[in-house]
Amino acid sequence: MNRYRGGALGSALTYLVLCLLAAVFLIPFYVLLRNAFMSTPEVTATDWHWLPSALNWDNFSSLFDNPERPFGRSIVNSLVIAVVTAPLSTLFASMAGYALARIAVPGRSAVLAVIVGTLMIPQAVTFLPTFVVVGSLGGVNTMWGLIAPGVFNAFAVVLFRSFYLSFPAEIEEAGRLDGLSYLGVYGRIILPNSTTMIASLGALSFIEAWNSFLWPLMIGQDPSSWTVQIALSSFLTSQTVNLPELFAGTVVAILPLVVMFLVAQRHIVQGIAMSGLKS
Amino acid sequence: MSASSALSRRGFLGTSLLFVAGAAVACSSNPQGTAAAKGAKVTLTQWYHQYGEEGTQAAVKRYAEQYTKANPDVAINVVWGADTSQYETKLNAALLGADAPDIFELGDFRAEMARAGQLEPLDDVYGAAKGGFNKADLDYLTVDGTLYGIKTIDDVMVLYYRKSLLKKAGVTPPTTFAELVDTAKKLTTDGVKGLFIGNDGIGDSPYLLAWSQGVDLIDGKKVVYADAARSIGGLHQLHSDKSVLLGFTTDWYDPGAFNQGAAAMQWGGMWSLPAIEKALGDDFGVVPWPAYDSAGKPVARLGGWTQAVNAKSKHVAEAKKYLQWLWVQQTDIQIDWAVKYGFHVPPQAEVAARTPELKKGAAKDAVAIANKNGISFPAEWTQAMQASFIAAAADIAKGAAPEKALRKAQATAQSALDKQMG
Amino acid sequence: MTVTTPLRGSAARPASAATPRRRRLTERRSKALAFIVLTAPMLLGLGLFRYVAIGWSFLLSFSEARRTIALGNWVGLDNYQELLADERFRDSLTMIVGFTALIVPLTFVASLALAVLVNRVRRGRSFFRTAFLLPAAVSYVAAAMIWKMALFSGVPSGLANTLGALFGADPTPWIQTQSPPLYWIVLVTLRLWLQVGLYMILFIAGLQSIPQHLYEAASLDGAGAWRTFRSITFPMLRNTSIAILLLMFIAALQAFDEFYAIFSTGASLGSEPVRTPLTHLYGVALQDQDYGVGSAGAFLLTLLIVLVTFLQGRILGFARDKD
Repeated sequence: MNRYRGGALGSALTYLVLCLLAAVFLIPFYVLLRNAFMSTPEVTATDWHWLPSALNWDNFSSLFDNPERPFGRSIVNSLVIAVVTAPLSTLFASMAGYALARIAVPGRSAVLAVIVGTLMIPQAVTFLPTFVVVGSLGGVNTMWGLIAPGVFNAFAVVLFRSFYLSFPAEIEEAGRLDGLSYLGVYGRIILPNSTTMIASLGALSFIEAWNSFLWPLMIGQDPSSWTVQIALSSFLTSQTVNLPELFAGTVVAILPLVVMFLVAQRHIVQGIAMSGLKS
Repeated sequence: MSASSALSRRGFLGTSLLFVAGAAVACSSNPQGTAAAKGAKVTLTQWYHQYGEEGTQAAVKRYAEQYTKANPDVAINVVWGADTSQYETKLNAALLGADAPDIFELGDFRAEMARAGQLEPLDDVYGAAKGGFNKADLDYLTVDGTLYGIKTIDDVMVLYYRKSLLKKAGVTPPTTFAELVDTAKKLTTDGVKGLFIGNDGIGDSPYLLAWSQGVDLIDGKKVVYADAARSIGGLHQLHSDKSVLLGFTTDWYDPGAFNQGAAAMQWGGMWSLPAIEKALGDDFGVVPWPAYDSAGKPVARLGGWTQAVNAKSKHVAEAKKYLQWLWVQQTDIQIDWAVKYGFHVPPQAEVAARTPELKKGAAKDAVAIANKNGISFPAEWTQAMQASFIAAAADIAKGAAPEKALRKAQATAQSALDKQMG
Repeated sequence: MTVTTPLRGSAARPASAATPRRRRLTERRSKALAFIVLTAPMLLGLGLFRYVAIGWSFLLSFSEARRTIALGNWVGLDNYQELLADERFRDSLTMIVGFTALIVPLTFVASLALAVLVNRVRRGRSFFRTAFLLPAAVSYVAAAMIWKMALFSGVPSGLANTLGALFGADPTPWIQTQSPPLYWIVLVTLRLWLQVGLYMILFIAGLQSIPQHLYEAASLDGAGAWRTFRSITFPMLRNTSIAILLLMFIAALQAFDEFYAIFSTGASLGSEPVRTPLTHLYGVALQDQDYGVGSAGAFLLTLLIVLVTFLQGRILGFARDKD
């Protein structure tokens, strides 16, 4: 939708700027793709090549046929983690964000502070105690131990809260007049009208779960539990650096996210501005 | 996303469904893959870091199976861990929790771990074979008179030089630091730098400079590296000459820069030797890091990997027996491990002498350098000491006063050492 | 869960027989119950997976804890003193404050501008959105590889050096050059590339929730693009902006990944020209196993973050309910 009309010149200028910026943003992807098809000497060559001299598809096929580096399995593991984490974390964050924004009860700001507080304390340092806590609950080497700590995402709570703060009150009031309880309003009215935010934050949560590295590395103890990021790191050891497979692997690792973006796009487009006022 | 919006329509019922689905997935794919052999009374867990060389993982599993075949009561669960940069963190985390390994590898042996009671003494594992092990290794692994680890491979690092380029420039491999500076300068031409010691232009050179001046990092209970202000101060000259290669694609531990001809000399590991041979044929040679001056000595860093037994393991005796079998008795395995997946030196002199791959060409020279010039980090050395030492050296390369920068870092290291010694 | 069913009947039916007083009571109880049910999963999860560890770390910060996270060896404020006496840590604190002051406005303006631009165009919107968001899908490790090896490497084959050669410049080691500090170009471009798309998406979600009729009214008044932005878009994005700013401040003060990935040489740091509090503490806690000092550092950094967000709140106001 064109919200306001700036005339043909302004519109052309907008496109020009966007195209230039998009080109800049995509350059690293071009380099990534180029390197993924190159051989090691080409990647480390001291002069610049725009294109690989030959398309080394081997870089891709060899990703999947090395039993010592279960790359295919690692993609499945990452998918399971991301598919479980994204909806759960988005739902929990949406619930908490709504309550914090719209249900005025005593102690509400204290609850907000408790949640935001977890963002302010750097995780790198509480990492080891968390590991020991999860370990003592029997979480080492289990899928739940891998997934559970990532499901509770204060970052998304903050964003959902700000989203619900600006949510049109009329819609809620209409629901209340229909006799819905607070929970009913949330489940039947708020949630269906939050698709923009759910899609956006769900996508971000998916990315985060997909890219998680240090936690799965600690919790999993066997190559069969590797995530895709751990598999990628195995191309970068201190004895040898397997550059072509590293770049080819990175390309493969990004593909599922591209697909996910394209799916989520559809939902990001519709805002509550139209869908909300219809009900 | 679609899962969430479907969920919203059905209200909270969906939440519980999703939980069930998540739980089902979580339970059905328990990642613990390695099963213990049937019938074994004891299962030992043995951790390795992730070696980059092809075939290493299969090799260590093969060794373990071989042991179980000979000793059906003991099964070995080999855990192939993280790459070097994360391995120590992962290991330390595991040692704090309930899922600690019985046997594990250490890249840098830490005396601190022995003093903290985390390592089991291994003197009886060596037994009579002790005399045949590399003396420098034994010193390295001895804390307060007791041996706490066993080296599985020695990795020596050396200075690789390109014969043809040195010839063209009319120079010979450097034997003093002044010559190194001069040679690097002469070898620097359009597109080729004289020397590559690391993408940051520092790498391990501060250690090498100190040692080559005859100064160690720690002497008894004192950190003494500031005595090497003179030699480490030389970094500034190397950098202002612009004869060191900076910011290459791969770092010093990979032979890329040398093989690509981006640098005429490179500090690198012996593990790269097969790859360099393949790329350059016999157009290269190896020498130790040159003596700082006539009063100094040529040096080479000795690295490698050590295996140790967790003092809190429930199966200490079995673990020790297995280590003895693997790294003291099975000399064929030790040779296989040392030279079939990249080049390393077996720590037992007699075994090293029997390894055909190490008896010819540059490999032979590297082994000689390891025996003659090899120096390990002090076992008391920690990552924090390393970080402040390297930071001081980086400041010196930029032009900071060497003595002052090193004294300051040394004071921090000293208080850390005092804490460690208790 | 079945709690919704009984509640629906008992909540405020306008013409119920209950007295107003009882109705208010039921109303209050239903409110409290809803609040508890909605926040419980998050609070329980954070309690178990974050707060136990946070509490533990807090106690550790007063203990001598090397190679152990057992409590008991109490040393009072020694760990805090040790860190504050450490010049390298103090430098990192100063550095991070300056870095935050520059990077937050830069990221904010860049991501908001992208969101507004992308939201304006009719055709190709999803292409642009994907193009800008796609970098968020790349992990720091992979991105740093591309930056180090291909874009800003020191050899002539680096893209930056290839472009420089067109203008006759000599190949430059970007990451290693400290005067002028070219490494900042490497760090900042990497950070923006990875993060801007993410914040852009959040701004777009905010833009989508601005009622269309406001724009129609402005358009009838003949307001230009800039005035529309200033008088409608920006004020309507207030709550979104405040939340995003909070997250940006936290992300900047906790900067770690690109500083680590760009400067680490294999296994360790040391020669890097700048360090952040977290790269320093990572070394202390996770590498050198001094959990006492590491935890103390975490709480010093937390204190700084609380201070900054408090200042943000005082200056910009806290996000609030509009009614």
